[in-house]
Amino acid sequence: MEAKLIKKAALGEIVKKIAGQKPVYAPIKEGSKVHFKFLKKGESPFLDYANTVNAPKNLFFPQTETLMHYTKTARGSELVEESETNGEMVLFGVRPCDVRSFKLLDMVFDQKKYSDPYYVDKRERTTIIALACRQPPYSTCFCTSVGGHPAQADGADILISELDDDYLVEFLSPKGEKLVKLFGDLKAADDQALSRKKELSDEAVAAIKSHIPATEIKTWLDNNFEHPFWDSIHQGCLACGTCTYLCPTCHCFDIRDEAQGDDGIRLRAWDSCMYSIYSLETSGHNPRPGQKQRWRQRLMHKFKYFVDNYDAISCVGCGRCVMSCPVNTDIRKIVNDIAQLN
Amino acid sequence: MQKNPYIPAPVKVEKIITEVETKDIKTFRLTFLNQEDKDAFAYLPGQFAELSIFGKGESPIGIASSPTDPDYVEFTVQKAGVVTTALHDFEEGALMGLRGPLGNSWPLEYLKGKDIVLVGGGFAFTTIRSLIKYMLDDRHRADFGKITAVYGARNPGLLLYRDELALWQERDDIDMHVTVDKGDENWTGLEGFVPTVCQDVAPSSDNAVTLICGPPIMIRFTLPVFFDLGFSKDNIYTSLEMRMKCGIGKCGRCNVGSKYVCLDGPVFSLAELDKLTPEY
Repeated sequence: MEAKLIKKAALGEIVKKIAGQKPVYAPIKEGSKVHFKFLKKGESPFLDYANTVNAPKNLFFPQTETLMHYTKTARGSELVEESETNGEMVLFGVRPCDVRSFKLLDMVFDQKKYSDPYYVDKRERTTIIALACRQPPYSTCFCTSVGGHPAQADGADILISELDDDYLVEFLSPKGEKLVKLFGDLKAADDQALSRKKELSDEAVAAIKSHIPATEIKTWLDNNFEHPFWDSIHQGCLACGTCTYLCPTCHCFDIRDEAQGDDGIRLRAWDSCMYSIYSLETSGHNPRPGQKQRWRQRLMHKFKYFVDNYDAISCVGCGRCVMSCPVNTDIRKIVNDIAQLN
Repeated sequence: MQKNPYIPAPVKVEKIITEVETKDIKTFRLTFLNQEDKDAFAYLPGQFAELSIFGKGESPIGIASSPTDPDYVEFTVQKAGVVTTALHDFEEGALMGLRGPLGNSWPLEYLKGKDIVLVGGGFAFTTIRSLIKYMLDDRHRADFGKITAVYGARNPGLLLYRDELALWQERDDIDMHVTVDKGDENWTGLEGFVPTVCQDVAPSSDNAVTLICGPPIMIRFTLPVFFDLGFSKDNIYTSLEMRMKCGIGKCGRCNVGSKYVCLDGPVFSLAELDKLTPEY
């Protein structure tokens, strides 16, 4: 692993330079919001952001994605051969919580028996450049409660940490090292820089004030599928699905066909366990008929089912669902309340 | 490079058999257009596949044929939603897609050397039919002990696979009981509900496994009969249905607790189901 230093002012230009060579998906400011978008030619990323509104999962698992094309022929509908996709991409400016989300999504999409070619392909040809949190961006951040860290980014190819006048750039993987030359004049990081990084990293951890007993509620969840507690948490829910759409780890999707004349596509689009038709069967039977069952499913999936299957909590503590819920449902409060029932 | 699990293999609708008098359940015999797809579709009784019609979508359906008939794959489908309605409108010779095989199967290794009791009700007899054909095949029959089957429908016109049922009733290597809730003037067979017939047949639970498929009400009243006969929950199996999309454990919706019906099921023992959340 190489650790280098660059002047703070240089980073925007470096990313712009990379974007001249390959597509770069990075934070962009639009109005008062910051979103991940592909940089246009000559465009610089927005660096002075807390975190983005949308999670970067959209790059590997787009909100809507064409799976295949078909066309009607005399013999019936037939598949149209797809052209090979290729080319390296760069995902720049990912916060450590969101970097962790990729490790969790990999567990679902990159399995031995059934590997998801659409996700895995884009994931493999993308280099991830993480930007450590010098300060936790929001009061709702709780990454350290769910196995994360504001200044470490296991799974990133390059980690950039803000020091005082410089950025410390750590090339963490062979994929990351391939980009070294695009960073231009790099100064080797001295011990002083490394110890400053450690200091700031400890400060960032200490600055996170939101803590939840995320692992401690597992036993209660194991034993309390039926409990009066479940009658309360969904009460305000509008079933809008915002929490699932903004969540970096939610991966549910629908598959649909869309036809136009003789041609059509089979696509997948994000779906949400918060919606009534999500599990509605053709017969009219719905295993999760009410918002109570759907909320229980969402919570159980993140803090129990995913743990059972992959030994990891399916939450990275980014706080997006907390910040954007229109009725202020707070997953931190729910987890805290469950811990009280223990 | 692994095959893209979302791409259906092209198949031809070779034969369509209308199974019931109400005409809303048909069996579709499909043949693969490409040899490599046919070779890749190696399945066991109890598995399912996604029937794929471009422009309409996909529908997960249990496989009704047996791998002992290798030339084709059959699905018995009730006309219910968008995809199955389009399928019912097909004529022989139509082209469509098939994606699978998916899910686990009936526990064939576990069943070997044991007496087998099969219970089916109404339309939920398709993957049991697959298993019967498999077990009765000369290459497999010796692997299993006594085979007892109870199959019931509301009336004679709603029984599936009537020709095969008649043949099985004449064989001495399967004890086949066919019953209807209410017979008509031509009906000479059993009359009565499936749980009652099971009670009368009273198969021994000694070294025996029962596989039960049917509407929830039938299962509810049949289970106590088998408990009384001494069958343990480890030796009672059933097959679940849930709404599905991907069929490969990614799209999320078919989970029952930590298990995905598409990957870990559709076949579960009662002992396994007891450990899951009752949400199906």
